[in-house]
Amino acid sequence: MRIKLTSIMVDDQERALRFYTETLGFEKKHDIPVGEYRWITVTSPDGPNDLELALEPNANPAGKAFQSAMFAQGIPLAAFEVADIAAEFSRLSAKGVAFTKAPTAAGPVTLAVFADTCGNLIQLYQPKT
Amino acid sequence: MLLRHDGFRRLCLARDLLREGRERPLSITDVSREVGISPFHFIRQFEALFGVTPHQFRIDTRIELAKHLLAAGQHSVTDVCMEVGCSSLGSFSALFTSRVGESPSMYRKRVRTMIHVPHGYARELTPGCLSLMGRLPTSAFRPSQFSRSITRL
Repeated sequence: MRIKLTSIMVDDQERALRFYTETLGFEKKHDIPVGEYRWITVTSPDGPNDLELALEPNANPAGKAFQSAMFAQGIPLAAFEVADIAAEFSRLSAKGVAFTKAPTAAGPVTLAVFADTCGNLIQLYQPKT
Repeated sequence: MLLRHDGFRRLCLARDLLREGRERPLSITDVSREVGISPFHFIRQFEALFGVTPHQFRIDTRIELAKHLLAAGQHSVTDVCMEVGCSSLGSFSALFTSRVGESPSMYRKRVRTMIHVPHGYARELTPGCLSLMGRLPTSAFRPSQFSRSITRL
């Protein structure tokens, strides 16, 4: 048993694909039409054989309520590790990304939080070396 | 753009206000006033946070609700039009068609034919993403060239 795939709910798959590739810099691995929706996964160019992240269509009302409530409470639904959080904060800010938390030291990590424009907050973290 | 806690909270409140079905919906300026952000900053910050302008967000919300009602309820297209807060059937139909790619009545007809079995509605129209996996081509699960060579090592 291996962990190869995880997913995040997005309220618009096309916008999500653009944000996760063009803005964040991930690479599209799959984009396959399935009925009304698409099977879209992205990987990181820094670790193409790490996890695949599926951009899940958030069509289910229960999923929408969950996503919306977590967002309003300021709770991130995914976290990505970065090597230089200050540089990522500057790079993404310059691209118009909305942060709800600037890089902030928190114990063994430095954290920042931004909105993915698809209904989620995402946490960046840089472990202390 | 860095949103402080209070600004973030106000924008989430605005999203709730835009979702509300009302007989006389608030204008975007009314919503910005309601949450205490100038209209210029409101539209800019809302879009950065939610990926669409407040106006687009409200339209998307109405279309989603209309799709749900057309698929699930026993409502006529006119009922659905009123329910989602559109006053003109013509503009509702035009808006729905431009966003969904088919008219409200065509959509209702097509979607209802999909519902043969109990709970079929939920599965077809509101899939969990991982359930889509069963309908992918086999190639979606073959390892890439790179990972195969790693495995051999």
